[in-house]
Amino acid sequence: MQEKINELLKNVEKELATVTKEADILNIKSKYVGKKSEFNNLLSSLKDMSNEDKKIYGPLLNAKKKELEQLFSDKLSNLNNTANLDFDETLPVKITTGSLHPVTIVAKEVTDVLKRMGFTVLSGVEMEDDYHNFEALNIPKDHPARDMQDTYYLDNGLLLRTQTSGDQVHAMEKYQAPLKICSPGRVFRNEDIDASHENTFFQIEGMVIDENVKIENMFSVMKSVLEEVFKQDVKIRVRPGFFPFTEPSFEMDMSCLICGGKGCPTCKNSGWIELIPGGMVHPNVLKMSGIDPQKYTGFAFGIGLTRLAMMKYKISDIRYLNSGDIRFLENFEIE
Amino acid sequence: MLISCNRLKKYIKNSEDIDFEKVWQTFTMKTAEVENVTLKGYDNKDVVTAKIVECKPHPESKKLSLLKVSDGEKEYDIVCGAPNVRVGLIGALVRVGGMVSGMEIKERRLAGYLSCGMMCAWDELGIGDDHSGILELNEDTPLGVELSDLYPIKDIIVEIDNKSLTNRPDLWGHYGIAREICAITNHELNELPILEVENNLEDLDIKIEEPKLCRRYCGIKVKNLKNNQTPIDMQIFLNYVGMRSINLFVDLTNFLMLELGQPMHAFDERVVKNIQVRLAKENDTYKTLDQTERTLKKDTLMITNGQNYFGIAGVMGGLDSEILDDTDSIFIESANFNAGSIRKTAIALGLRTEASARYEKSLDPNMCDLAIKRLLYLLKKENPNMTLASNLTDIYPEPIVEKEVILKKETIKRYTNISFSDTIVKNILEPLGFKVSVKSDAYHITVPTYRATKDISLDADIIEELVRIYGFDKLKEEPLQGTITPNVFENIWDNEYHVKRYLANAFNLHEIHSYIWYETDLLNKLGIIKENVKLLSSSKNNILRDDLSLSLLPIVKNNLKNYPQVDIMEIGTIIKDNQNEKHLSIIKACDEDTIFKTYQEAKRIVITLFKVMKNIQVKFIKGTFPSYYDPNKSQKIMVGNKEVGELKIFSSKCNQYIGKKKIAVAIDINFMEYLNIKKQNKVIKEISKYPVVSLDYTISTNLNTLYEDIEKILHGFTNSYIKELSFIDVFTKGENKNYTIRYIVGSDSKTLTSEELEKFKNKFIKYIEKNDLKIVS
Repeated sequence: MQEKINELLKNVEKELATVTKEADILNIKSKYVGKKSEFNNLLSSLKDMSNEDKKIYGPLLNAKKKELEQLFSDKLSNLNNTANLDFDETLPVKITTGSLHPVTIVAKEVTDVLKRMGFTVLSGVEMEDDYHNFEALNIPKDHPARDMQDTYYLDNGLLLRTQTSGDQVHAMEKYQAPLKICSPGRVFRNEDIDASHENTFFQIEGMVIDENVKIENMFSVMKSVLEEVFKQDVKIRVRPGFFPFTEPSFEMDMSCLICGGKGCPTCKNSGWIELIPGGMVHPNVLKMSGIDPQKYTGFAFGIGLTRLAMMKYKISDIRYLNSGDIRFLENFEIE
Repeated sequence: MLISCNRLKKYIKNSEDIDFEKVWQTFTMKTAEVENVTLKGYDNKDVVTAKIVECKPHPESKKLSLLKVSDGEKEYDIVCGAPNVRVGLIGALVRVGGMVSGMEIKERRLAGYLSCGMMCAWDELGIGDDHSGILELNEDTPLGVELSDLYPIKDIIVEIDNKSLTNRPDLWGHYGIAREICAITNHELNELPILEVENNLEDLDIKIEEPKLCRRYCGIKVKNLKNNQTPIDMQIFLNYVGMRSINLFVDLTNFLMLELGQPMHAFDERVVKNIQVRLAKENDTYKTLDQTERTLKKDTLMITNGQNYFGIAGVMGGLDSEILDDTDSIFIESANFNAGSIRKTAIALGLRTEASARYEKSLDPNMCDLAIKRLLYLLKKENPNMTLASNLTDIYPEPIVEKEVILKKETIKRYTNISFSDTIVKNILEPLGFKVSVKSDAYHITVPTYRATKDISLDADIIEELVRIYGFDKLKEEPLQGTITPNVFENIWDNEYHVKRYLANAFNLHEIHSYIWYETDLLNKLGIIKENVKLLSSSKNNILRDDLSLSLLPIVKNNLKNYPQVDIMEIGTIIKDNQNEKHLSIIKACDEDTIFKTYQEAKRIVITLFKVMKNIQVKFIKGTFPSYYDPNKSQKIMVGNKEVGELKIFSSKCNQYIGKKKIAVAIDINFMEYLNIKKQNKVIKEISKYPVVSLDYTISTNLNTLYEDIEKILHGFTNSYIKELSFIDVFTKGENKNYTIRYIVGSDSKTLTSEELEKFKNKFIKYIEKNDLKIVS
């Protein structure tokens, strides 16, 4: 008897180990402890036993029955904790995301800082007229500044803007002083393309006009932008520049982050990257757009967004940016 | 522009106090950007003057000679290949162990003979490009002296970024740079020695026909010039700053241009007797010094004698009046031409010369005569017996005079927090050549003419001088004052960003940037002719795009080489009807056999975009499209009656172009139209308290029936219990096309009974049958 019971228990354990479904467990249960089960037969046989046997086997069978029931209920309750799924949870997953262009990401960061300082973000047009791109910026017809930027002139008398600075003029015409605007956008220069030159790239223009706006204010704004974008201390130098529409004019250079200031093709081996040209708005420019230079001063600056993106992401070849190559672009998943 | 520090030192008193390797950092920070500082001649070692004392031809080689060379103490055997070797010649000897241009000289055998050193040519010493023979020094040169002690071979050559000198005509010569160095290092500038001309001879016949284009013309004739040999130190200087030495007369004109920034020209006096400055005749041709035939325009300013052309004013002289070997009398020109006119001519001829580059910057006409007097001084040093053959003739109809700028002290305060004392203002401005008169509330500043031609005319210009010399690095940043000015609101940029971010996030699109013009190759390959605005300067890729999606095909094609499926977007400018337009283009390219899925996905993008961003349901209708789109499957995207964009499939030719068995779907949305659409308010529908029932029907139609047709019929069936109608699936079975649709039915006021439901079903089935359709199970 004893042996029989033990063998039965063993069989139950064995069968339970292989099953995972509730129905299977219940089937095994009914097979071993159900009404027509062998165990039940043993229980029923108790009543025909001698009293002595009853005393021995009664408690034994009841204990074993409890043991068996415990076995089934354990198994069943275990079963309730699982979702009862059958797959390989160690398989890898494929990540697919879209991406934003690095210049878009950097432009967003720059406009965010400027917006917090109260700048309005404007959008200019790419096909521009001579007046807004040159004339109203104090760049008359035969001014060599027009040499500095080889212009794409168009057969309809217009041109592809060489700088976002024309948006200063649009803004002054539209809103007058005081004014605090920035304008990101694409500009064009008739240049041969190589690792550090593009004919199509991005800038952001900034302009503040108010009473008592000083050079020192401009430096503060420019530095905040760089600190925000690079989230680190960046080495900066300011030196004189020349732009017909600002006076005094400056160039803010940043230590080249690609080579760490040692010199590389991106920084033309100088260790410095020209990043933010700017200056105090030229009195003639204010006058031409109907703002009184005796009352107002202002500053304007342009940031090379393309260059900023290259510095930030250590992109060594400018040609990637307009290549449309997804192998490059998919690095810039949206944060 | 290249600058020789040896040259600068000659113009600066006590220049030995200046560290000429380091001063350029300060120059960059205060004046103009220095791109490069290079040491020259420091890689020569033990190069001494030596005389050839014996010269024998090599017994076997025709070219080589066997020399004995003396440095005054010792004689050396040298095997030399130069043709100009001869006894008595004094040249430059590198002794064994010495170095030229970084190369160490060792004892070595040449064609069987030991050579203990080397006699050097110009190019070997790094001071010229002449390799025709060894350097020949004057007969009276002492022997055994380091060559660099006799000549300015050791130099520091500085490259200044031309762009940063655009507004500084005065810095296009060494003297101007020296003036600036003096100002920033607190040194004194030397005056230039000149030859004063008495002008007791006859004036030259010089006429200016175009006084607006030629502001001043100075000329003089000089005779009896026997020596046309340029001194070695000047040759080295010219070479170091990037010019070739030609002969003394030409070199002196170049030297003056490099010294003062004043371009000059020397004509052969036998050819040029008189001067008339006038415009060319359209389409005349003329051969310039570089032996090139040039076609002239009617606005090209020319130097002539009335009949013949002698030079293109300010750009290049002519071949027929060039200085020849036997020239011993010259006509020297020092003139001032209009910047814009010279620039235009130089661009038109494609001939940007050192002279035109300088004239384009608006040179100071007041230095024309000074340049001639300076040139005469230098010329006389080499030709002590020269004689002047005319007056220094100066045609200068409207001389420019020094202007005064008034800078109010209060104006300085409006620009910067730095407080400039009167002393600081004077100390900064006077070394730069300004004269400062201090008043109680202002400075009256006289601007030197070399700064006044374009650079300085306003008080703000003077402030720049003050701040840059004072030092930008000394300015303390100050946050903008919080003026409470309501800001204007424009939202194009924000909207662009939000749409792009949404599309990238929701539909895994990659934002790309492309060019504003069509690739000519693309148009050619697809046989598309585009009439649109063109770039003037280019013959390739010169047509501006009027269809963003089409212009993106090369990018799609390139990406399909790496990915089986390409999903890109751009918000970019196109030019249509001569106007800027901003468009959003999305291209989805895939394998041919997954086109249905891709098309559906594209449609889903359009609908979702408008639903999420504008809460608007767009419609699609048929329309006409350019021939490079499939006419059957392309549709217009409508908001109400307004067309806002297109959902298109490219033509088979385009699809073949992007890749074998590939196909592309384009979404094009006029972004300004999109921006103009107002976002509709959301009104939340109450959720029914009563249960709804979902009923699926499969309607069998013939193969030609579109869902659109079925939908029309379904919309004809109205019933108050209908909550929603949706399309579930379509499949083809034999000759039939079966559409499965789903109704959600229910009531807001009660739970529908099974009788009511049955009634609905029966009504619907009857309606369908009435329309000659069949419901199948």
